[in-house]
Amino acid sequence: METNHEPGMKEYIAIWVGLLCIVGIEAFLTSMNLSTHGLLVSLLVLAFIEAGIGLLYFMHLRYEKPNLFWSLVPAVIFVLFMMNHIWPDAYRMLNLRVPIQ
Amino acid sequence: MSETEITLDAGHAAALEPSPYALQSKKLTMWLFIISDAITFGAILFGYAYLRIGTPNWSTPFHFSPNIVNGLIMTFVLLSSSLTMLAADAAAKQGRKSSCLKWLGATVVLGIVFATLHLREWSHMFEEGWSLSTNPLGGSVQFGATFFSITGLHLMHVISGIIALIVIAIGYNTDWLDAGHVETTGLYWHFVDLVWMFVFPLLYLMNVAR
Repeated sequence: METNHEPGMKEYIAIWVGLLCIVGIEAFLTSMNLSTHGLLVSLLVLAFIEAGIGLLYFMHLRYEKPNLFWSLVPAVIFVLFMMNHIWPDAYRMLNLRVPIQ
Repeated sequence: MSETEITLDAGHAAALEPSPYALQSKKLTMWLFIISDAITFGAILFGYAYLRIGTPNWSTPFHFSPNIVNGLIMTFVLLSSSLTMLAADAAAKQGRKSSCLKWLGATVVLGIVFATLHLREWSHMFEEGWSLSTNPLGGSVQFGATFFSITGLHLMHVISGIIALIVIAIGYNTDWLDAGHVETTGLYWHFVDLVWMFVFPLLYLMNVAR
């Protein structure tokens, strides 16, 4: 990652076409008989790729000073990672409830 | 003597220390807002994903046509609006005011098309009996609760973005606002697009009847 010139409209259009292709792949995956868990993981991986491309090119994060990237992105990943570890606790709490008669 | 020279002469060079991010304050503020909003959406999407996987009688009411086709059109419209926003940003940086306003106008129109398609879809779902607390298919009511909450929050962001873009266009046209404001609003608009990249697969594609 380095600070350099932003891409022109031709590059943006190429990225836009690429993002549309990924959306097409997502729709195609839905038509396949994947398990719920498998489909969720596949769609999430593709969504993260799309988000990464959008963040780096459309939002120009690739062309900002690296300080900005290192200040923002690891913090968000850490928070989301911790959320992923804390959410399952909700199931434990559900099981602790007194059953409704 | 300029204000800057006065400050340097007074020995307060530290006051002029460059920003470690080399950004205008409004752009940095927008980045911080986007980060906090990303965490908000992350929290509700994580909550949704756990409910989706953990609820045994989860309803999957969508069909490829018309629901997914409509979702794909909405995705195309929103992605295209990001492209027109980039064109507006580039024109503003080059000082081409009329071109910038034209592209901002196109972005607003595409945003309105997206919101209209969304509201039309909601309207059909309400007619079928879906709501935050009802499920016409007889399964878990969690689908309606999560679908309308998450897409509603996203739609609110889109509508806020449309209003912001109109204000920015008016301000830029009257020289009240500059190219930096166009770029900062563009960041927000791309973020709204980026969130949809998660909302569409998780709420639409994951709920296709199989």
